[in-house]
Amino acid sequence: MYGIRGIQLSQSYRHYQVLKEVSFEAAPGECYALFGPNGAGKTTLLKILATLQKPSSGRFEMMGHDGIRDRNRVREILLMIAHGSYLYNELDAVENLRFALGLRGLSPATREIKLALDRVGIGAFADFKIRSFSEGMKKRLSIARAMLVRPKVLLMDEPYSSLDERGMKIMNDFIRESAGQGAAVLMTSHNRVQSAEVAGKAGVLLQGVLREIAVKDLVAAHELF
Amino acid sequence: MNFFNVIRWLAWKDLLSELRSRENISSMFFFALIVILIFSFSFSMDQQTAKELMPGIMWVAFVFTGIIGLGKSFTAELQNDCLENLQMNPIPRGAIYLGKLASNLLFMLIVEVILFPLFVIFFNLDVFEKLPLFVLILTTGTLGVSAVGTLFSAMTVQIRAREVMLPILLLPLIVPVMIGAVEATGGVLRSEPISLYRQWIELLIIFDVIFTIVSFWLFEFILDH
Repeated sequence: MYGIRGIQLSQSYRHYQVLKEVSFEAAPGECYALFGPNGAGKTTLLKILATLQKPSSGRFEMMGHDGIRDRNRVREILLMIAHGSYLYNELDAVENLRFALGLRGLSPATREIKLALDRVGIGAFADFKIRSFSEGMKKRLSIARAMLVRPKVLLMDEPYSSLDERGMKIMNDFIRESAGQGAAVLMTSHNRVQSAEVAGKAGVLLQGVLREIAVKDLVAAHELF
Repeated sequence: MNFFNVIRWLAWKDLLSELRSRENISSMFFFALIVILIFSFSFSMDQQTAKELMPGIMWVAFVFTGIIGLGKSFTAELQNDCLENLQMNPIPRGAIYLGKLASNLLFMLIVEVILFPLFVIFFNLDVFEKLPLFVLILTTGTLGVSAVGTLFSAMTVQIRAREVMLPILLLPLIVPVMIGAVEATGGVLRSEPISLYRQWIELLIIFDVIFTIVSFWLFEFILDH
């Protein structure tokens, strides 16, 4: 069984083809890092996998579930950390986590929530409104949310953006931990050094075409595209 | 059951956000207050004329006030891409609709409960013996506006000219609510026997039932497309 499997996924907007028959696989416990220049179609691919868009053609599977026909099952097992933090400005960190988890039918104890906030280094800001959070703090809160949800499939759009060095380490520790628990991870990134630490597979998306590359070449290569 | 939990969590989140920001209710309240003041100073009315005009003026104020609140209902979800998160969550779309409807209805009713005594004072009306009937008409009329308005609020949230589109789409559809509510309110104010305006209250109830059910079913299509 594949954790995440894209099968000839294509996406077109009017006459512009963003994705051209993109196929890839990430096994459970594996992290796939996706690179590419701005506008290459990385976020479009993530949005298709997150069930936010339907592809023009092709299909995808997550943990054996068809992503188009069995959309609700796929939504149950996936979680996305994206550019938007999915946080409500007027709620504090704990309330935001309670709300996000509550929608999924989860109700962790306050101690568990505070522990997750401590792990991502924002425990002291637990009762601060999100309005006062920096982008980096919001990203850390998104990691805490993912820690509490423990999804089987983790999609991440530029997970290292806005994070300081300590934040990037926390992110990578979390990716390793999730993969260790059997989650399949797909991330888009511009940070080759950090991605190479956790990725088991890598690919470059260029003009809608995906080309796989060896992870060991990620840091060594002078330029990827 | 997660269905009812989703409704509860969404209403809780909206209520808490509103209690802290007071953005929605305060703008709705001050708009309606201005409408009352303008109408009460524009016409010099004896009590008989006030009884004839007040239902129309009151419902125009309530509906336009409601449109302000409904317009903000889903735009709040655009902050930090929260709407995207709702779309991705494994939750019944109908539950999202009912959660949003509950908070919209509550906000409108809160404003109406504050404004109603002002109408009574400014238009010098004697209504206290008929208060239960007013409560019934206010609730059924407001539910009708909220039921359709919540759907259209979601429909127009991604449109650039949403502030214009929402009233253009909403107002023609809620004409039956306006007619029913104005006629029923007028009947109560003129102390007519209930048999003369019962059909208008029945119209409001039928409208509420039909449009809540239709909107509930349509919401999945609106949110996912």
